[in-house]
Amino acid sequence: MAKQVSTPLYQQLLDRFDGGLAIAQQAEPAFLKNARLQAQDSFRNLGFPSTRVEDWKYTNIAPFLKNNYSLDHEHAVLHENTLDAAIIEGLDCYKLVLLNGKLMATGYKEQLPSFIKIRPMAEAKEEAGFQKYFGKQIELEKYHLAALNTASFSDGFFIEVNANANLDKPLHIVHTFSADKDLFVQPRHLIIAHRGASLDVIESVVSDNNAAKMFVNSLSEVVVEENANVNHYVLQTAQEGLRLISHTEVSQKRDSVYSNYTFSLPSAELLRNNLHINLDSEHTESHLYGLYLGADHQLVDNHTFMNHRLAHCESNEIYKGVLLENATGVFNGKVYVHQDAQKTNAFQQNNNLLLSTKATINSKPQLEIFADDVKCSHGSTIGQLSQEALFYLQSRGISEDSARALLVTAFAFDVTEKIKIPELEVYINKLINHHIPANQEMIKI
Amino acid sequence: MAKTIDSNEIINDFATREYEHGFVTDIEMDIAPAGLSEEIVRFISEKKDEPEWLLEWRLRGYKAFLKDKLPEWQNFELPPMDFQGISYYAAPKNKKKYNSLDEVDPELLATFEKLGIPLNEQKVLAGVAVDAVFDSISVATTYKEKLKELGIIFCSIGEAVQEHPELVQKYLGSVVPHSDNIFAALNTAVFSDGSFVYIPKGVRCPMELSTYFRINTQGTGQFERTLIIADEGSYVSYLEGCTAPMRDENQLHAAVVELIALDNAEIKYSTVQNWYPGDKNGKGGIYNFVTKRGACRGVNSKISWTQVETGSAITWKYPSVILQGDNSTGEFYSVAVTGNKQIADTGTKMYHLGRNTKSRIISKGISAGYSNNSYRGLVHVGAKADNARNFTQCDSLLIGDKCGAHTFPYIETKNNTAMVEHEATTSKIGEDQIFYLNQRGIDSEKAVALIINGYAKEVLNQLPMEFAVEAQKLLSITLEGSVG
Repeated sequence: MAKQVSTPLYQQLLDRFDGGLAIAQQAEPAFLKNARLQAQDSFRNLGFPSTRVEDWKYTNIAPFLKNNYSLDHEHAVLHENTLDAAIIEGLDCYKLVLLNGKLMATGYKEQLPSFIKIRPMAEAKEEAGFQKYFGKQIELEKYHLAALNTASFSDGFFIEVNANANLDKPLHIVHTFSADKDLFVQPRHLIIAHRGASLDVIESVVSDNNAAKMFVNSLSEVVVEENANVNHYVLQTAQEGLRLISHTEVSQKRDSVYSNYTFSLPSAELLRNNLHINLDSEHTESHLYGLYLGADHQLVDNHTFMNHRLAHCESNEIYKGVLLENATGVFNGKVYVHQDAQKTNAFQQNNNLLLSTKATINSKPQLEIFADDVKCSHGSTIGQLSQEALFYLQSRGISEDSARALLVTAFAFDVTEKIKIPELEVYINKLINHHIPANQEMIKI
Repeated sequence: MAKTIDSNEIINDFATREYEHGFVTDIEMDIAPAGLSEEIVRFISEKKDEPEWLLEWRLRGYKAFLKDKLPEWQNFELPPMDFQGISYYAAPKNKKKYNSLDEVDPELLATFEKLGIPLNEQKVLAGVAVDAVFDSISVATTYKEKLKELGIIFCSIGEAVQEHPELVQKYLGSVVPHSDNIFAALNTAVFSDGSFVYIPKGVRCPMELSTYFRINTQGTGQFERTLIIADEGSYVSYLEGCTAPMRDENQLHAAVVELIALDNAEIKYSTVQNWYPGDKNGKGGIYNFVTKRGACRGVNSKISWTQVETGSAITWKYPSVILQGDNSTGEFYSVAVTGNKQIADTGTKMYHLGRNTKSRIISKGISAGYSNNSYRGLVHVGAKADNARNFTQCDSLLIGDKCGAHTFPYIETKNNTAMVEHEATTSKIGEDQIFYLNQRGIDSEKAVALIINGYAKEVLNQLPMEFAVEAQKLLSITLEGSVG
C-alpha cells in the first residue's frame, strides 16, 4: 500500500501551484516565495497521508478527499445563525469574525486597544516583524498538510500584542465556515505575544448547516516571547459537513507560560488537531488540556507533541475523551525530551469513556527521552461509568439520565475546572449536558 | 529406539552427530554455499528428509520473503542486511575452537566465574572440546525417561516432523503464518531446527523444560523454530537461553516461537537472552530479530511470557498473545537492559478477542551508556471481547545522559465494556537512594546493582528459582562500569 492517498484533488492542487497560484504569489516578498516553493516540493513528495503513515494510522482521510472540492471561495455568505452558535453567554470580550479563513471587516479595529495589532495576513506580508516569525518552526518535509498549507494558503489573521501589554478582556475569534458547494479552504494565522505580554484568546469554530462539504486545512502559529503568558482556548462546535485539520505550532521563549484548552464537540465529521509545542528556551511552562466528546459518526483525532529542547522546562497534559454512538476517538501524545533538556518535568494523562457499543478509541501516549535527569510519566485509561457510582446517585433520588450526565461532567471536571474564564466554563458544561442526555438511548448498556 | 539408552551411547551420539538424519560426511557438503534461492530451500528440506507438505510450506515462506520489504517503522537504524551473504545450511557439529580453557578470553572466564558456572559447563559454553563425561547429559537422560512416561513429547522439530507429522502439520505456522513478516518468512523458508513440545491432555509437566537439557540442541541455530502445544488441561513451563554469555559467528538471528494453549491449559515461557552485544563501539554484536507469539485457543487458557534481555547488539521482538478463548489470560513480564551502543526495541501485543479476557504487561527498561531502549506495545480489544481487562506498566530507568528510553504504547478499543489502563514513567536512579546505601558502607556500584534488582524484582520474581538467582547476577554484571 502506498503512503499517499490517490485523489484527483492532489493533481488539482499541484496544477494550481504552477498556474493560478504562481501569478497570485508573484508580488509576495522573496522569503515567502522561497518558503512556498520549498513547501510545494514537500507536498509534491508527500501528498495526502494514507493510513500507512504512522501519524495517520488511525485517521483515514481518504473518504473525506473524494468530493469534488472547489478551491475558490470568494462568493461565500455568512449566515446570521451560524454566528449565533458561537456566542458565549455573558462573556465580555473583543470579537473578531472570520469567514472561511478571511477576516471580516466588522469594525474590529475600533474596539481594540492600541497595543494589540490585528490585520489580515495579506496586508502584513511585507513587514519585517512578520518575516521574523513566519514559518520558523514547522518541519514541512514531515507534515503533509502543513506543507500544503504553506504552499498555497490564501489568507488569515496576524495578531501582535506589544511588549508588557495586558489585554483586559479575552479576544474571541469566531471562525465561521460557509459554502453552497463543496469547498477546500486553507487559512493561515499567526499570533505573537511579545515580551511580557499577556493574552486570553478564545477561538470558536462554527459552520453553517448546508449540505455542502467543507475541507479546512488550517495552520496557526503562536509565538510566546520571554515572560509572556498566553491562554489559548479552542472550541470546535461545527456542523456535520465540516472536515477540519487544524495544525497549531507554538514556540515558547524563556519564562513564558502557554496554556492550551481544546474542546472538540459534535458534530463535525472529521476533527484532527495537531498541537505542537516547541520549548525553545529554559524555564518555560506549558499546560495542555483537552476534552473531546464525539458523537454520531465523528472522527476526533488529537495529536499533541511536546518538544522539550532545553533544560528546566515543565509540561503538563490532560486529555479526556467521551465517545458516544459511532464515534471514533484518537489520541496520540508525544513527549520528546532532547539530550540537553535535563531537569525536565513532563506529565501526560489520557482518560477515555466509551459509552456506546459502536464507539472506538485508539490511544497512543508516547515518550521519547534522551536525557537522564528527568521526571516523565504518562498514563492512559479506557473504561466506562462505574455501576456503583450510578447506583449510588440513583439511590439518592437522581434519575438515571441525570446521574449519567452528572458523572460525565465529573469526568470532564479535571479539564473544565482549569478554564480560567468562568463564563466559558459554564458554557462548556452546558454543552456537555446538552450532548449527554441527547444520547441517552445509546449510552444505556 | 526401543532399548534403553545409556549415557555412553548418548555421548557417542553427541560426538558423532554430524551423521544424524542422513547428513553427508562429505566436508564440502556440510555447509551450503552462501546465498538464498529456491534450490537452497529444496536442498535444506531434502537434507532433513522432510515430507512434501513441509517443503511446500518452506517455499511459500520463501516467496513471501521475496515479496516483503524490510520494515521502516522501528526506532533505530536497521543495519544493511546481506541476505545473500549468509549460508543457510550447516550440518550441526561440535564446535571445537580451543583445546583448553587457558586459550579462552580471560574476560569471558571472569564473567563465568561471577555467574558461578561449573567448570565443565564453562568449557562447553566457551567452545572448548569436552571429552570427559558431561554432567548435564546424564541428567538430561533421566529427565527424558520421566517425560516419556507421562507421554510428553520433547524433541527437536526435525525429529517431530519424522515421528509426529500429524501434530506438526496441524500446528506449525498456525500462530505465526509464513508471511507474517520478513524475518518470519525467512525463518519459514530456511529454519534449521528447534524445539518441539507437546503436553498431552491433563498432564502437568513435572519439571521446567529447557533447551539446555535437550541434548541435540548444542549450538543453537541461527533460524530456530520452536513449537509448544499444551493440550486441554495441561501445564508446562519452558526455559529458553541461559545466563552465560553466548558467542556465535552468525550475526543475524531470526527465530520463530509459536505457543498454543488449548482449553484450560497454561504455558509459561521464560527467556534469558545474553547474546554477544558487540564491543564498546557496538561492533560485531548479534542481531536478535525474533517473532514470538502465543495463541490462547481454548477457554480459561493462559500464556505467560517472561524475558530478561541483556545481550545482543540489537534486540527486536514482541512476544504476543492472541486471547481467542473466553476467560483466557495473557501475561508479559520483561526486563531489558542495554549498555554501550546496544539497542532494544521490544514489547508485546495483546489481542483480546474472546470474552472476559485478561492481560497484564509489566515492562522494565534500563538504559546505560549510549544505548537506546524502547518499549513498543499494543493492546487491542476487539468488538466482541466483552469485559476485557488490561493493565500495563512500563517503567524506564536511565543511567547516564547519553542514552535514551522510549515508549510507544498503542491502545485500540472497540468494545465499551473494556477496562484498559496504561502507565509509564521515566526517571533516573535517585541520588538519595545511592547516598543512603553509600552511607551504610555499600559502594556505588553495588548500590546500583541493588537498586536495579529491586526495580526489576516484579519481573525476576516470575522466573523459575535458579534462573532468577542467575538473572539477578546477570543484571549487575551487565551494568558494571556504567556508574560513576
